[in-house]
Amino acid sequence: MVGSSRSLAMNPLLIPEAYIIGGQPLCSQLAGLSKGQKKLCQLYQDHMQFIGEGAKTGIRECQYQFRNRRWNCSTVDNSSVFGRVMQIGSRETAFTYAISAAGVVNAVSRACREGELSSCGCSRAARPKDLPRDWLWGGCGDNLDYGYRFSKEFVDAREREKTFTKGSMESARLLMNLHNNEAGRRIVSDLAHVSCKCHGVSGSCSLKTCWLQLADFRKVGDALKEKYDSAAAMRLNSRGKLVQVHSKFNSPTSNDLVYIDPSPDYCVENKTTGSLGTQGRLCNKTSEGMDGCALMCCGRGYDQYKTQLVERCHCKFHWCCYVKCKHCSRIVDQFVCK
Amino acid sequence: MNGLNLKSFGDCFVHVVFSLTGREPLVFLPGPFANEPPNSKAHLKQCEQMTLTRRQKRLCRREPGLAETLRESVRLSLLECRYQFRNERWNCSMDGRGSLLKRGFKETAFLLAVSSAALSHALAKACSSGRMERCTCDDSPGLQHREAWQWGVCGDNLKYSTKFLKKFLGQKRVSKDLRAQIDAHNINVGIRAVKSGLKTTCKCHGVSGSCAVRTCWKQLSPFQDTGHLLKYRYDTAVRVHSVTNSATGETELASPRRHSNTGPRPRPTELVFLEESPSFCRPSRYSPGTAGRQCSKDTSCSSLCCGRGYNTALHLTTLSCHCQVRWCCHVECQTCLREEEVYTCKKH
Repeated sequence: MVGSSRSLAMNPLLIPEAYIIGGQPLCSQLAGLSKGQKKLCQLYQDHMQFIGEGAKTGIRECQYQFRNRRWNCSTVDNSSVFGRVMQIGSRETAFTYAISAAGVVNAVSRACREGELSSCGCSRAARPKDLPRDWLWGGCGDNLDYGYRFSKEFVDAREREKTFTKGSMESARLLMNLHNNEAGRRIVSDLAHVSCKCHGVSGSCSLKTCWLQLADFRKVGDALKEKYDSAAAMRLNSRGKLVQVHSKFNSPTSNDLVYIDPSPDYCVENKTTGSLGTQGRLCNKTSEGMDGCALMCCGRGYDQYKTQLVERCHCKFHWCCYVKCKHCSRIVDQFVCK
Repeated sequence: MNGLNLKSFGDCFVHVVFSLTGREPLVFLPGPFANEPPNSKAHLKQCEQMTLTRRQKRLCRREPGLAETLRESVRLSLLECRYQFRNERWNCSMDGRGSLLKRGFKETAFLLAVSSAALSHALAKACSSGRMERCTCDDSPGLQHREAWQWGVCGDNLKYSTKFLKKFLGQKRVSKDLRAQIDAHNINVGIRAVKSGLKTTCKCHGVSGSCAVRTCWKQLSPFQDTGHLLKYRYDTAVRVHSVTNSATGETELASPRRHSNTGPRPRPTELVFLEESPSFCRPSRYSPGTAGRQCSKDTSCSSLCCGRGYNTALHLTTLSCHCQVRWCCHVECQTCLREEEVYTCKKH
């Protein structure tokens, strides 16, 4: 799938945006970009909006997948979106890197299809071999190839510009980040599927057009969450490569997530590790899983409150064409960790 | 405290432990009664080895078959407990059993109930199998065709078992101590569970198999059914505290209701406990934790591993396959090698 070795940082003369002298102040204002990423930003101005959207999608999906666990992917309002927790090379860090890279692929590929970016268009993927012969291959599919390559260039730029001594902790972290970014991108491309539309006589499937479509991002989140559960613990060997800590377990493939540090204790608030603790989190009294009050509150116990829950009810469809709902409120029990 | 010392039983007498995946190669396991020498005094030594009170030791010495039955009941209760809790975070391991029995958790309630149920089951079966000297087949009235035992049919003698158990466990006096009351209640739950599994089974053997002539006898359901019932009781166990009955002045158990302070007494079929259990996720004095536990990826890994995730390893297992019956009369199987993925919970 990554057949072309042509770098995305093409000859600047071919990109009209580069003629804007001085570059946009937008790029230098964007926080959190590394030097190489700032350069790419100036070359690909119109991509930045989608990169931001992709990162936001990634964060949203992360918060959905982890909503029932002690660490719930919460963001803090400073320059590094997730806070100091990302400085530890734990499984959660691996997940956030992977899902951010996946979000960028998703957003850029969709943007290409929609025609928002001038440097790419509809997917030019080859017709899959297992497609029945009389189905048409065409339509406008998500440009997965471009999205993958752009995400690789942009997201990995931060890692690649650093050089560390072989065998140091920073080099281990670098290898881990690169591996997890690649895992995120691969999941998106593995889950992309062929989607078809029937448009024969009166909507029959005598005539079908098929194209490549990216999976719904929720499925990507589910798949990455499974990879998170089975992530492999790694360490640096004497030659400076990442190897498994326990060699008797299966080695991780490029689709798996890896981590180097054990997770910090997310139960208590700790400024050094960046954990926010679970005090004040809602918990579910009847559940036996991680969102149950026993595990979420880490044995501290919980308080019970009655709150008023306002929701939409008695929804009616009006012609034409809107839905009007009333608001109903009911009192529910809420359990909050001490 | 009066009652079985469960910890010592488990330590001394469990030789074979098998995890019940159903895929083990079929191996003939020697039963507990197979290699006993026909020495009538052997049971005396066994009675001395077990941790029993003086009265229990006396009862043990009087009845030669009791020592074996006690061992069998411990084995039965251990296996059943492990099977019912195979997918839970506390998997009935022997580590931490002593500290667990000192507290009033749901798990303690289950342990007491399953031990007493196993003992009463084993005693009833031992009576009907002829291993005990002082009891034989079930002789309760109301069985059709009293000549049932001429056909070689022998009902499980639950009546003797219950009576003997009351003597053995010394349940006549119930002290005011809350913990003792709870333990007595849970032991009764176990015995009742076995009683509820007693079914009348009949066999028709009249003219050409008709039911003109029927032989009926009482039979205990397999212990796995009792174990399943006790697990259900464990899931619906009730938390209790002690109240003083204003009429009689005695302390009683009462379950807390939602809006008032005290509620109705717990039913005699419900298990009761004093305090909420710990989560058994990390190693503590009550359990070795869930690190290294084998789990199944789709169902139990998320709850067993407490969010820590799992490691994957490839495992080569040998199975019996392509089994054929050879005349006459044994089964010949080949051994197949199969590679399968085994998931174990991470340590941290």
